[in-house]
Amino acid sequence: MDVTTSDVLVEFSVAVQSLGALQAAAYRLIGTATCQIDRIADRWVCTLTPVSGSKKAPQGSAALEIHFLDLVTDENLRERIALRTDSVRNVILSLAFGSLAGSSNNDH
Amino acid sequence: MARFQPVEAFHPAEDTLQLLPFRFERAEGHYLVSNMVGDFVRLSSDELTRILDLRVRPGDGLYEKAYAAHLISGADQNAQRQLLAFRLRSRLAFLRETTPLHIFVVTLRCEHSCPYCQVSRQSTDRSRFDMSKETARRALDIAFESPARRIKIEFQGGEPLLNFALISTIVSAAKARAATADKKVDFVIASNLALLDDAILAFCKANDVLLSTSLDGPADLHNKNRPRPGGNSYELATKGIRRAQAVLGPERVGALMTTTEASLDRVEDIVDEYLRLNLDGIFLRPLSPYGFAVKTKAFRKYDATDWLTFYERGLKYILEINRCGRHFPEFYATLILKRMLTDRPLGYVDLRSPAGIGLGALVYNYDGKVFASDEGRMLAEMGDKTFELGHVTDSYRSLVLSDKLIELIGSSLTQCAPECADCVFETHCGADPVYHHATQADPIGIKPLSEFCARQKGVMRLLLRLLESSPQDAAILRRWGGM
Amino acid sequence: MGWYVTLALHGIANFSRGVSTSEPSSVVRLRSEPNPKEWMTTDFVIVRSREELQHAVDARLNGVMIIGDDCVESLQEIAELPRLISVSGKFDYLSDGDIIGFHPASKRFRTLYRRTSRHNSFLVTDRCNHYCLMCSQPPKDIDDRWILGEIKSALPLIDKNTRSLGFTGGEPLLDWCEFMDVLTICRGELPHTAIHVLSNGRAFARDEVVAAWAGIRHPNLTVGIPIYAAVDHIHDHVVQARGAFDETVLGVLKLKDKGQRVEIRVVLHALTAPRIVETCKWFARNLPFVDHVALMGLENTGFAIANAEALWIDPIDYQSQLATAVDLLVSAKLNVSVYNLQRCVLDQSVWPYAVQSISDWKSGYAEECDRCIEKDRCSGFFTSGRPRRSRGISPILAS
Repeated sequence: MDVTTSDVLVEFSVAVQSLGALQAAAYRLIGTATCQIDRIADRWVCTLTPVSGSKKAPQGSAALEIHFLDLVTDENLRERIALRTDSVRNVILSLAFGSLAGSSNNDH
Repeated sequence: MARFQPVEAFHPAEDTLQLLPFRFERAEGHYLVSNMVGDFVRLSSDELTRILDLRVRPGDGLYEKAYAAHLISGADQNAQRQLLAFRLRSRLAFLRETTPLHIFVVTLRCEHSCPYCQVSRQSTDRSRFDMSKETARRALDIAFESPARRIKIEFQGGEPLLNFALISTIVSAAKARAATADKKVDFVIASNLALLDDAILAFCKANDVLLSTSLDGPADLHNKNRPRPGGNSYELATKGIRRAQAVLGPERVGALMTTTEASLDRVEDIVDEYLRLNLDGIFLRPLSPYGFAVKTKAFRKYDATDWLTFYERGLKYILEINRCGRHFPEFYATLILKRMLTDRPLGYVDLRSPAGIGLGALVYNYDGKVFASDEGRMLAEMGDKTFELGHVTDSYRSLVLSDKLIELIGSSLTQCAPECADCVFETHCGADPVYHHATQADPIGIKPLSEFCARQKGVMRLLLRLLESSPQDAAILRRWGGM
Repeated sequence: MGWYVTLALHGIANFSRGVSTSEPSSVVRLRSEPNPKEWMTTDFVIVRSREELQHAVDARLNGVMIIGDDCVESLQEIAELPRLISVSGKFDYLSDGDIIGFHPASKRFRTLYRRTSRHNSFLVTDRCNHYCLMCSQPPKDIDDRWILGEIKSALPLIDKNTRSLGFTGGEPLLDWCEFMDVLTICRGELPHTAIHVLSNGRAFARDEVVAAWAGIRHPNLTVGIPIYAAVDHIHDHVVQARGAFDETVLGVLKLKDKGQRVEIRVVLHALTAPRIVETCKWFARNLPFVDHVALMGLENTGFAIANAEALWIDPIDYQSQLATAVDLLVSAKLNVSVYNLQRCVLDQSVWPYAVQSISDWKSGYAEECDRCIEKDRCSGFFTSGRPRRSRGISPILAS
């Protein structure tokens, strides 16, 4: 894997950072930069390569790194929210569309 | 002796709060948050983490804000959960009225040659590009098989007035069937109005037919987009509009505009043109990437950012007009506002998830082929049959329950799509499998690359800003949204 | 609660005869003259003079109501009347078609229904499971279930052309089973009369109560339910009951799910008015399907006086919030009315929604109101309790 001068490397500890969140952040980066995620020992290593000509790309390596870190922070937050709320979400969905909804009057 | 308890006696006990599902996105220095049914609040980073950790107490202001926004609830409470379920059901109630829109392409013939037209241009004397009576009859069969209690039949082309005889037949037949089938039927003709005459107008009046035409702006702009032998498309369109308004009434005549690169700097002129012609509002919409637009590469000439600049400018100009006392809504904002401010299901088939292809609209082509959407038909003209569902000899059920359609709808659900599933705007947005298939060869599309997505987010962010920053504009926007 | 005349108009009869019964109450309908076609044993003819008294004696009427201050007990004619009740002249408003509930043992009576009034309301019970800080009818913990029996007796006697009838309390649905019977009788006896029930709505959190309510299939039945905030503890504090908000909102949802008519009410005071924009935004967003929203000025009576320090707010100080709240509701296509607030303390944008709501028997105007051009459209002030006036009261002189 070649690392060009414009590439940015960001590392995370496998112990505290989930792969799913990194992948989701990488997805959001599509069109701005490609992100290759590798595991080296106990670290995730993300190689960000800016897409040339992209209007949305942050200017400069530092800005891209900050942007990616923000995206990862957001995805971690989303994981936490899902953990805390998925069960009540399912309850609400089943109330809305499941058998519990069967007895309701359908004419609103 | 009356004994009253202080407010502290009604606070929930410690550790009895529960988090409710919500989504967020970063905004300038804070977070925009939405709950499960799309109500928005803005929170600082600290507020968001406090809510996530349930470090809120009654009386601290944040508890009240979070509770009213359905971000938190009492663990043993029921009302909010039932309320969210109730509202979710309302928002998706459009699914009960499947296929309210039926588009009849009565002819492919047309005497214009607009560069962005998605219909292949056939000259006016080839009647093998007209829909036959038999095809029309079978298409009507299918339309009446759809469960919706109220359907809309829209006549398109080419230029549909070139086959007015068939329109007349279809309208009579539909009205007769509606009476016995206990259905209501509305009719629209989407026409360039160049061929309008007294007989056609009398017919429209007698049968309550709406006329919808295209008006891209003042003469130079409109004629540039719509070349007609004689170069008088604008003159004919405006004459047609006035004539139709005089006979049918202004509320029965509408116009749609298509934004081309030339329009981008002329939004005030376009709006003024609509006002001048006494039209009841305007629908500012971008070009779709199909048919001739693709062939002429017109769609690549402006991107989402360019279009959003155009849109914001136009919307602000229109709000100024409303502030001066004239009621003149922008219809796309109105649609989005209805989604954001109410839970009422909308009849608009192009912005919903599950997508409106097939389920919302069916298109019956002149040759008897049936398509899941108008744009899907246009793709077929270019050889792409992804959205071709079958033929008018098929039944409604077999068309709408076909594996093909279910796969397309199922795979494009925003509720499950990457990025959409976490998007703060998802409840107000929709799937557009045709657009994403046409631009990315995939019904769901990679949303970070999607101009549709960029436009949607841009419009919603703009509307939220306007609702919050200017009380006068907010009052105008709320009235549009409540209409 | 300010919309209906609470017919606790009552008194003690001077004397009575022949109206003995083991029932706690006897229902009596008053007539100006005997009508043989629809005479009921509960009908008593009104007599206001000696001349009329003589007519009654000559006609051998079986039920006579003497209204007047002349001492009639010793009159010879009295002895010939088998059943009669005598009340003082201050009840001279009583007229044909009116109904009273009379207790022979104590000679107490209450006016239950006045045919000429636009706002007739039955008090169903004085008991309540709430203890609202501003309650105008403070609850009593007594066994008054006999009232339901009295109402059932009165309903068949009510003029069939009565436009509307109210039921209030206390909490009318505490004995919900028997109250449903009352509503069923309304449907049968008064099919053209709109019924408006005031309730805290919590009973409707239970499916069987909603099913029974909907099962009555009344053609024109509305329940008015207060919701004081978009937040649980604030509402619960106002009504002094934990868990009230959750049950009330659930009750509203279940009622609307069964297609029943629901009105939401908010009494405006220091705990509810400063948040009225947020509250109405919440209504517009979460309960847009309710049939009506009533925003009401505070009647300074009952518990409102005891809690005056905590509750009083000058309407001028929430004038603009109220205007914004009304606009929000109207934009969401809700039906809105504003009650009990004078036009001079309301923003002009709210005037189209301001209703003349204070019953004529307890409303009045100030001296300066004589010069006001809006007086005829204004609701005026409460004269009940301890009236408290906004500093913004002043006549509107020209538009």
